[in-house]
Amino acid sequence: MHIPDGLLEPITTLILWGVSITVIIYSFSKIGKFFEKEDSEKLVPYIGVLGAVLFAFQFVNFPVPGGTSGHLIGGTLVAVILGPWVSVVVLFLVLIVQSLFGDGGITALGANAFNMGIICGIVGFYIVKTTIMIFNKTKLSKQIKVTQSTAIGAYIAIILAAAICGIEIGISGNIPLSFAVPAMVYWHLLIGIGEALISALIVYYIYRAKPDLITTEQMLGVE
Amino acid sequence: MLGKGKLKQPIISLVIITGVLMLALGFGFTVGILSNDPDGLERALIDAHGGGEEGEAWIEDLLSPWNPPLGNISNDYLAGIIGIISSFMIMIAIFRGVSVLKKKKKLDIPQKKEI
Repeated sequence: MHIPDGLLEPITTLILWGVSITVIIYSFSKIGKFFEKEDSEKLVPYIGVLGAVLFAFQFVNFPVPGGTSGHLIGGTLVAVILGPWVSVVVLFLVLIVQSLFGDGGITALGANAFNMGIICGIVGFYIVKTTIMIFNKTKLSKQIKVTQSTAIGAYIAIILAAAICGIEIGISGNIPLSFAVPAMVYWHLLIGIGEALISALIVYYIYRAKPDLITTEQMLGVE
Repeated sequence: MLGKGKLKQPIISLVIITGVLMLALGFGFTVGILSNDPDGLERALIDAHGGGEEGEAWIEDLLSPWNPPLGNISNDYLAGIIGIISSFMIMIAIFRGVSVLKKKKKLDIPQKKEI
């Protein structure tokens, strides 16, 4: 879903840069408060490892039927582990590194941060939170509630991000809107399965290995 | 400062991540768990512009204001290692910066009150 340079028109590019930068600045202020509550000395190296994991997962594409491939985006995954605001910044930084390799444009960085960081991170997080509220009515264990909700949140968020990406491309005039949105949503209905599975497996693994690394239980309202 | 002890585990994790990526790249395409096919966005763009090589050529022709500085690295293994280490270093630098600034700000507040 990495938008290359030259695909979006200047106005769309500027608006998305503006929105993304505003959210990133706000995220930094929220991260500062988050670090007051949590042990930042312990969290910083852990965030570094998560960034490296995201880069590695985004580097490799898994096959999708129909001659297409997909890769993990990880916005919802990071949001479930460290919160939506950390997710926005982590995704933005990973996207910067990727743009140095030509994966995603430098002018399109704002749009990519919006789609993958803000939509998958923030919106995905609140979808997970809503799903957990529903699962709270069941007798499922904490780890199963969070794992299942992560899968659902990651899946819906990636499809939503794909639809929004389709709208951005459509209004830029390079592809008719009536083609861009259905095409993006169709392919990501398949790619999203991989995103949901990988995200859920990682969250499940962390819950089994080191549950205290999931710092958002209270925010998510897990009972 | 981040002590050596605190960085030991993340560095071990980093070596494991790099190793797994190298293995995935080495065997992934052979056993079919990885793919070189275009991703969802590329596929939509290719299909919208005639499909196949015609569509791929259209994507290649998109104008970019810069040449990505690491875009010439054609070796996937090298690109993977550089990317993983860069991502780790950038994350540590930025988030460590936020943590230090926050602590500094916290320490400054009582001093101002005394004045």
